Amino acid sequence: MIRCTDVRKVYRQGDTEIIALGGVSLEIPRGVFAAIMGPSGSGKSTLLHLIGGLDRPSDGELLVDGRLIAQMADDEITLFRRKRVGFVFQFFNLLPTLTAFENTALPLVLDGRSKAQAGARARLLLAKVGLEKREHHLPEEMSGGEVQRVAIARALAFGPPILLADEPTGNLDSKTGEAILSLLRRINEEDGCTVVMVTHSNEAARYSHRTIFLRDGRVEKEAA
Amino acid sequence: MFALLSTISWRHVRRHRLRTLLTFVGMALGVAVIVAIALVNRSLSTSFQSTIEQIAGKAVLQVSNAESGIAESIFPTIRDTEGVQYAAAAVEGFLPVSGVERERLYVLGVDLLTDSAVRDHQFTDSGFAFDQALDFIAQPDSIALTESFARRFGLRIGARITLGTSAGKQSYTVRALLKEQGTARVFGGNFALMDLPAAQRAFGKEGKLDIVDLTVEEGSKIEAVQERLRLRLSGMADVERPKKRGEQIESLLTSFRVGLFFVSLIALFVGFFLIYNTVAVSVVQRKREIGTLRCLGMRRGELLRLVVSEAVILALAGAVAGCVLGWALAQAALLAVGETVRNLFSSIALAGSSLSMNELALALASAVGVALFAALHPAVEAIRISPLENARQAAWRPVFHGSKSWATRLGFLCLVVAPALVFFAPSVAGGVRQFSLGIVGMLVFLLGLASFSPLFISFAVRQFQRCAAGIPGLSWAETRLALDSVMRNPLRSGITVATMIISLAAIFTIAAFINSVRGSLLAWVDQMVTADIIVSSGARTAGPRNVSLREDPLPGLKALPGVRVVDLYRLVRANYQGRPIVVESFSAVESASVRTLPMAEGDGTKALREMAEGKGAIISESFQRRFGKGTHDTIELATPSGPVGFKVLGIYVDYSSDIGSVLMDRALYKKYWRDDLVDAFDLWLEPGADMQAVIEKIKAAYGEKYQLFVSTHRELRDAVVKIMEQSFVVNYAVEIVAIVVAIFSVINTLLASVLDRTREIGVLRAIGATQAQIRRMVLLEAASMGLMGGLLGLFAGTIMAYHHVVYNTKVLTGWTFQFYYPYDTALFALMAAVLLCLAAGYGPAKQAAAIPIVSAIGYE
Repeated sequence: MIRCTDVRKVYRQGDTEIIALGGVSLEIPRGVFAAIMGPSGSGKSTLLHLIGGLDRPSDGELLVDGRLIAQMADDEITLFRRKRVGFVFQFFNLLPTLTAFENTALPLVLDGRSKAQAGARARLLLAKVGLEKREHHLPEEMSGGEVQRVAIARALAFGPPILLADEPTGNLDSKTGEAILSLLRRINEEDGCTVVMVTHSNEAARYSHRTIFLRDGRVEKEAA
Repeated sequence: MFALLSTISWRHVRRHRLRTLLTFVGMALGVAVIVAIALVNRSLSTSFQSTIEQIAGKAVLQVSNAESGIAESIFPTIRDTEGVQYAAAAVEGFLPVSGVERERLYVLGVDLLTDSAVRDHQFTDSGFAFDQALDFIAQPDSIALTESFARRFGLRIGARITLGTSAGKQSYTVRALLKEQGTARVFGGNFALMDLPAAQRAFGKEGKLDIVDLTVEEGSKIEAVQERLRLRLSGMADVERPKKRGEQIESLLTSFRVGLFFVSLIALFVGFFLIYNTVAVSVVQRKREIGTLRCLGMRRGELLRLVVSEAVILALAGAVAGCVLGWALAQAALLAVGETVRNLFSSIALAGSSLSMNELALALASAVGVALFAALHPAVEAIRISPLENARQAAWRPVFHGSKSWATRLGFLCLVVAPALVFFAPSVAGGVRQFSLGIVGMLVFLLGLASFSPLFISFAVRQFQRCAAGIPGLSWAETRLALDSVMRNPLRSGITVATMIISLAAIFTIAAFINSVRGSLLAWVDQMVTADIIVSSGARTAGPRNVSLREDPLPGLKALPGVRVVDLYRLVRANYQGRPIVVESFSAVESASVRTLPMAEGDGTKALREMAEGKGAIISESFQRRFGKGTHDTIELATPSGPVGFKVLGIYVDYSSDIGSVLMDRALYKKYWRDDLVDAFDLWLEPGADMQAVIEKIKAAYGEKYQLFVSTHRELRDAVVKIMEQSFVVNYAVEIVAIVVAIFSVINTLLASVLDRTREIGVLRAIGATQAQIRRMVLLEAASMGLMGGLLGLFAGTIMAYHHVVYNTKVLTGWTFQFYYPYDTALFALMAAVLLCLAAGYGPAKQAAAIPIVSAIGYE
């Protein structure tokens, strides 16, 4: 499902080269819930962004869902993000002017689905995350946990085979965080969706099948 | 403060070079218009004054009666008045140089033997002595030209030059050359000196004088001599100092100059919004930086000074560039304005002048004043930003309280004050003051309407969303997100919409005004000039360029086959109550059956009949307004035969002059003015007559001799429209400034909006929005602001244009114009508003689509 072979990511700042990933090789099979851990600056988020097609590797081979990220054109990679990958962010990143329902339906509408089609799917997903009664609320009218659940529902709009979560509980209290992690685990188990989660928290990592430790842009160790 | 400006502000400027440049250019353009108009106005003022003073020479008093002239027989009375030292009689005017298009000579006819007591004529031949002067006078074809004119046309002493005179082409011999000193400096050297009788013949003014220049004996008081002369002349002519006479002639241009000032006021107003927009957007963009500064201990006062100083420095830089640009613009404007002045008012050479300290101060003060005023509100918003702002995730934006916001309150206040000003305006004294109050009322109304922009945006977007309307070619999400972005920060979007409103309203007001003037003018020409063929000399329309002819061609024209009626039209400038007016005449006896007279008051047919019977005169609306005279009143005019009272028979519409016109029968005019010159021969043809054949015959018989313009009714209409459009050329410059400012404003706002939504755009891209979708959203945002600004701008422009056409113009000029709504311009303006916004949004849209997703998501 996800295979990194000596993936490198180098940023340039003026004349300085910043090596975010210094040659990462790993494999995450389909249906696995993987946690990526490591100290700040270890390259966790960079790796997640590369897997999700938000950025492109400087070198190495990155195969996601059978496709080479580096070789995809911008429109192709956009469609890949839209349909094959779901994102959940630490700061939720819902659009503040859209309701829970509209936020959830957004990727489908961007894909040109009719409002009715998108709406039906959005309702289903909101029910799945337990927010069917909150669909007409704006993000600012909901709690952090609810907002993150909407973000998860949005990420599942196309039923993607891969769900990427960047510190999904980093902005939540522990109880709410646990509920979110349980939800992610349930999605992983029920839908067979591969989940890759970046986290600082050992508690959160416990929900995963595998934990990958990064340090200075390289895989330090892996734990089952 | 300097340290903060040189670090924080300067770096912000460098980071946002494009926006800074847009504001700088916009400000420079605004100031350029103000400076150019100030320079043009000064040039208009000083050119008249200096011309009059140069011609007057050493004279301290001048006896004249505008173009009506004074009888030569009263010259001894003037000369022999106690206290008069020297009296120099003269006739003056312009004569076209034959064979050279548009070249005209200012000819001054004087008694060469005595004139040097008043004017200093320096001949190139230093030995030009009494004998030569006698020789010059003895030969009636003598003319003296300036060195520069002679050089330009390769004329030497003894060469011949042909001029178009009232009796047709006349050839003159160059018998002397003048140095360009003293009087000969006027009109850029297009100056000629003739002996008085020769000049009188050339102008058809035998037995008449245009002016008598006087010096006063030592020990005599000028005022006393002036009073004595007035008593002796008993109303036959005015006795004024040259300066006062210059002012009288300059007053012809009052309306024109006030109109120009109004145009510069619009430029200033538009500039205000540009600065406001820039500063407000800059504050929104830097909220985090401001929060950090507050966190670090910057006091509110310091922050306020910093924000205001930035605006003032930017405005000052723009103003300095604007001064240079304005000077260049003024040189171009002077050409256009000079053409208008020569067409409509008087033959004058408008001298280009350098920027005076006054104009420089005006430009800088305008820029600083506008910047201070415009930056104040955004600066106050800035000091309200919490020190915690740098720790917040959500984007800060100024709070908009809907109908309770300051903008809405200001809007309500303005909408109360504006009608009050308009209502109050008629009660103040003087047309210029009433006009100015009317204009201020209009601008306050515009400000009020613009202040409603945030509320209007919220309302319009909500209504659009409520009716679930879609836009073809765009998905629901694109439409929704674009409009959400517009509404999310109504104050910021409101600034752009307000700028659009103001720019569009200014453009539309000018366009609608010009359209109404054109429509009214053409309708008037159709009514006033019913002749099939109009024959004139020197110019197609009667005015300063026109050469007055003698009646000689009349019998020949009458005898032409197919000609039914020939009437003679004459137009002269006269004075009434010390102010210039126009006296028009034609033979109502000859042409009453074929003429119509557009009347503002009274029955035209009856008025024409009474006019033909010599019972009185008809006055124009402008005359009525300026002098408060009406039907049945009596007006006393100074004629070369002395003061004569004329009964007012009615009020007619006359758009040819706003200084006031008096129309009378030619017989009456000839009797009192002792003038049989003609400015135009109006010909009506028999039904079925071949117009082209008649025109050819006229040209064959008289065209060559008189340098005739033989115009059909349509050609005259076209000439009138051309002159009118020429007079509005400066207004078009302001339209361009308004358009540029509007575009800058949209770019400014959209750049800020994109910056403000970087994270959101990143998220959209992350969840699958394509670059094209992001571009479409930003473009839709731009187009929606263009549409809202366009609609409101048109609404404001329509009301302002109506007020300007129907009220302001009336109080300033006395003219009643019909309001002709320019539907095509309205539609075009609305479409242009949207298209311009789309064009302006292209750059920001491209920028938004290219935002790197990873850094955008981590933006906050």
